[in-house]
Amino acid sequence: MQLGLYLLRRIATGIPLILGVTFISFLLMVYFGPDMTFELVGKNPTAEQIAQVRIQLGYDQPFLVRYWHYLVELATLDLGRSISTGESVRSLLAETVPVSMALTLPGFVLGNLLGIGLALLAAWFRGGWVDRGIMAFSVIGMSISFLIIIIAFQVFFSSRYGINYFPVRGWDMRSLGSYLYYVTVPTLAIVFVSLGYNTRFYRAVFVEEIGRDHIRTARAFGAGPVAILGKYVLKNSLIPIVTRIMFSIPSIVIAGSLLIESYFGIPGVGKLAYDAVTTGDQPVLKAVVGATALLFVVVLILNDMLYRAVDPRVALK
Amino acid sequence: MKPLTTARSLAASLALTLALAGCSKPEPDAGLKVYRHSAAGVPTNIDPLQAATVYSNLVVVNAYDTLYRYKYLERPYTLTPNLAAAMPKVSEDGLVYTIPLKESGRYIDSPAFEGGKGRTVTAHDVVFSLKRHFDPENTSQGKWLWAGRIKGMEAWAEAGADYEATVPGLRALDDFTLRVELTAPFPQFVHTLAMGFAAVVPPEAVAAYGRDLGTRAVGSGPYELLEYSKQQVRFQPNPNFREEPLDLEAEGYDPSAHAAYGLADLDGKAPPFVDRLEIDFIQESSARWASFTSGREIQFSGLPVEQTEAVLASKDPITLKPEYAKRYHMESGPEAGLVFTVFNMDDPDIGYHEDPEREARNRELRCAMRDAFDWEARNQRFYSGLGIVFPGVIPPILEEFDASLSRASVAHNPQQARERLKAAGWNEDNLPVLDYGLVSSVLAREMFESFRGRMVDVGIPREKINGETFATFGDYNRALRTSKLSIMGYGWQLDYPDAENVLQLFYGPNASPGSNASNYDNPEYNRLFRQTKTMQPGPERTEIYRRMNRMLIEDCVGIIGLTRSHVSLWHKDVKGLPDTAILGGFWLRFVDVDAATP
Amino acid sequence: MTDVEAPTQSSGLWSRAWRRLRRDRAGMAALLVVATYFAVACTVWLGLAGQGWSALGADSFAPASAEHWFGTTRNGQDIFARTIYSTRVAFEIGLVVAISSTLLGALFGALSGYFAGSWIDETILWVKGTLDAIPFFLFVVAVAYAVQGHPLAMHFAMIVTFWTTTGRYVRGEVIKLRNMEFVEAARAVGVSQASIIFRHVLPNTTHILLVQATIVFVTAIKAEVILSFLGLGVQDGVSWGLMISQSTNEVTAGFFNNFIAASVAMFMLVMAFNFFADALQDALDPRKVEEAS
Repeated sequence: MQLGLYLLRRIATGIPLILGVTFISFLLMVYFGPDMTFELVGKNPTAEQIAQVRIQLGYDQPFLVRYWHYLVELATLDLGRSISTGESVRSLLAETVPVSMALTLPGFVLGNLLGIGLALLAAWFRGGWVDRGIMAFSVIGMSISFLIIIIAFQVFFSSRYGINYFPVRGWDMRSLGSYLYYVTVPTLAIVFVSLGYNTRFYRAVFVEEIGRDHIRTARAFGAGPVAILGKYVLKNSLIPIVTRIMFSIPSIVIAGSLLIESYFGIPGVGKLAYDAVTTGDQPVLKAVVGATALLFVVVLILNDMLYRAVDPRVALK
Repeated sequence: MKPLTTARSLAASLALTLALAGCSKPEPDAGLKVYRHSAAGVPTNIDPLQAATVYSNLVVVNAYDTLYRYKYLERPYTLTPNLAAAMPKVSEDGLVYTIPLKESGRYIDSPAFEGGKGRTVTAHDVVFSLKRHFDPENTSQGKWLWAGRIKGMEAWAEAGADYEATVPGLRALDDFTLRVELTAPFPQFVHTLAMGFAAVVPPEAVAAYGRDLGTRAVGSGPYELLEYSKQQVRFQPNPNFREEPLDLEAEGYDPSAHAAYGLADLDGKAPPFVDRLEIDFIQESSARWASFTSGREIQFSGLPVEQTEAVLASKDPITLKPEYAKRYHMESGPEAGLVFTVFNMDDPDIGYHEDPEREARNRELRCAMRDAFDWEARNQRFYSGLGIVFPGVIPPILEEFDASLSRASVAHNPQQARERLKAAGWNEDNLPVLDYGLVSSVLAREMFESFRGRMVDVGIPREKINGETFATFGDYNRALRTSKLSIMGYGWQLDYPDAENVLQLFYGPNASPGSNASNYDNPEYNRLFRQTKTMQPGPERTEIYRRMNRMLIEDCVGIIGLTRSHVSLWHKDVKGLPDTAILGGFWLRFVDVDAATP
Repeated sequence: MTDVEAPTQSSGLWSRAWRRLRRDRAGMAALLVVATYFAVACTVWLGLAGQGWSALGADSFAPASAEHWFGTTRNGQDIFARTIYSTRVAFEIGLVVAISSTLLGALFGALSGYFAGSWIDETILWVKGTLDAIPFFLFVVAVAYAVQGHPLAMHFAMIVTFWTTTGRYVRGEVIKLRNMEFVEAARAVGVSQASIIFRHVLPNTTHILLVQATIVFVTAIKAEVILSFLGLGVQDGVSWGLMISQSTNEVTAGFFNNFIAASVAMFMLVMAFNFFADALQDALDPRKVEEAS
């Protein structure tokens, strides 16, 4: 009962957020965004033909009307069809979202696990050379642009100037072998670029936790590092860890990794969204942005509930 | 210790990853005869209504039938009947075309048809397919080809586009005879019937799939589309495709030129010959090249510009280095199109002006910029020196090309440019600021920098050439079509092999929003254009075409032009002669590969 | 005078921080590197270096030589001059974005924190939440479109996205500060709210602002690379991002000069800035001050 009410309240507070996100993005992408008219009219159009295409695309209607249609479409999940291919947006999303998830998930998981591991090491040997070494490396990692990493990895792994062992481009998930063949280099790039940030973040969390009285006490009583780190530090740091992971979900599921996808030619949702922005394919764009906003609100709610599950002291407001 | 355990398991899984990745990539069509083609762009929509790109055409003409096609091997390109049974019978006044159809055209089996079985293609379907372009419910990119030219078509559309109603100029006399009546002679009409836009679509498929035809196909072409994605299409032979043995001689076979390609074995056999046709769409040239050279993937690729030095032994003539010649077949030639830069004649800063004196000075400015431009460097740096620089807009691939034209208009002559500017009274201060439009891509930006650099060399200050960047081609296109820019570079792919297709780019009534981006409007030119519009090909028309061409050069309407060369490479186990010019794709029905290696 | 003197946290904190920063050898080395880059940027501003970045040369893709230290581009332009000129572009982007988004973050963060719980706070939080919920690159791409062609489109997009983090930190700090004695006292003697916020509260958040500004500076330079690759970055001229995107067409053909020159130049600056930001953070950390004393 209490939980139900709480959920309702949370969902209600999520509505202004969804409205805000959809409004701003609609304004930017749809109202100011690229215009598809001239891609559809052919080579020698007349003014009438242009006007006719604009009507078909709905460009002639006032902004608020179009925004209202958008909200109705979102509420009824009737997402329409892509302008450029004529495919239904729902099937486009159903094709691309799994690809993006399969692409980013291994790198995300590995990047976080490695980050947590390194951060534990650093936090345990705080101030020592291990800590300083790890921290210096994470700063260096943070200082290299993602694009530079991608280019360098491609040259190294997939060109005749390097080991030339992996594909430059493409995607295939029909078998484990082909999946691993295509996912390896992107995964390594994702791990590399996220490791520095993850390690720094988790180290800060763990240092804070290790500094607490009960852990100092446990340490003084000679508890081993495995016991202390595993039993107390990790467990007590669950909230920030979970929060960080939860808030990455929308970007993994919906935004995908635009750079990786466009550079490696992977048909994920990031590339879909980017192509939609650059061609002005509004139905696709509207769906992607709407879905992200919805997911974000869901994550906010889930995160609140998880706080509660992990730490009973956090009461339902 | 926990972190170490984690690290160890990670190392282990990474090792596993690397090991597994080494496994050979499984092929879905193992054991079948597969030909894997590739293209440098993506067909975003494969509905014949939208078959505006080379890539869409590649898919459309293989999945659907067109009435006519080009002969496989004969050059210059020659039309030959495809679904039509013969070349059209044209009335004396050039207005009425009577086209007999083969009775053996059959659609693929599809749930769209009653009983799921593909039926015979009729003239009514052709009528339906052309009417579709004019249906106000549809957006068509090919409509402009026939707009105002088929008698009664516009009236039909205005009256509500009822497919039951007859269009006087487009009728099926019986199931296998089509009659087209034009409003004025249109000598290129038969060419348009060989374009993907004119592909024959059954009404049942439109009823069943509607806009889904953008990603699927129900046609009577040589192949049946199995799978479409933006990465790849897969075809299998259309089991209902008519028996039409390859007649090499009729297709223009020349043993001295074609002997090496393994075509002789195929003579007299009925295509298609392969079990699967796959076309990979790979935009990144490096990826395409890696896939092509791996030996296990695509069997055809254009030569990427950046590989030119590594692969070619010589550029004129184009020959391969021995290690490549051993592995690949090669064919090269000029593309069916050109790249060029035009000035916006509507812009009083550089084009027409109410003051005749200023207009004359503007012409000097345009001519000076043309002199300042270095086509040779452009060719070397951006097209690996494989392009062909030529004066005027009629590219060398066309019969109407004028080899005798002076090359002065494409010569790099900075000295003359400076003199022109000085003589016309232009100096650093009074030169106008000109907007040069570019799409925001690396190459376009580099071209802009080289253009501006050349202008700086003759004394036009850097600030006077303003780069106006557009994030997408669509936006650039809009600026072009709404006359927003002063200097515009673009490329034109020929829709059909007739100089009319490039000369119309400068026809006054085609000005923005039409394809005449230069907004050139010369009454004499317009008159000649109208005159040739209804003329049949021949020396008389060619002479007028060439005259118009010279007018464009005389008026310094642009910096024109260059034809890129294509260098096609394909594996030695492929039997065929790939053709990428003139909306290529018809040749794919004749392709064969050596029996699949186990 | 009814004005109440704000506590001079600053002078003590700043001098202590400076002393500690000077003892931090890595931090000082990083500062030196940043200063060197800044000096280079200044010489470009003054027109003393890098001016030949757009001049066409005779040889394309020339290797490094005495004349062209880093070789030449496709158009025969000198890569060394382009690298140097890009330093200025990087500082322009970094400074414009860092300063503007820090100011925005400070203003809205302070308003939001000072009026925590009121409708002002709610509205600002809503805007922040909204901006955070739109995927970064989609948003930047969209803003870049909306103000298309404008040379500052990219800067604007980054400012709008980057101020929220600063705003969040400032809000937290201001919530702490507004209940402190000196603020209560100021309020009691009737100092206007604006004056309290801008003269008493905000100055006490400068240590946060400074650290955040350095972080935003680095983020902006890195984001430029990716935006330029996507065709939404620097519109006219040259930048490390444009050089790296140029190199994407070149590395497969074995020409690495553009890639290496821009990557290394950018990496050194970003790394130095990151180390400097860390050192600055350590030096300004009040908790560390206690430890030291």
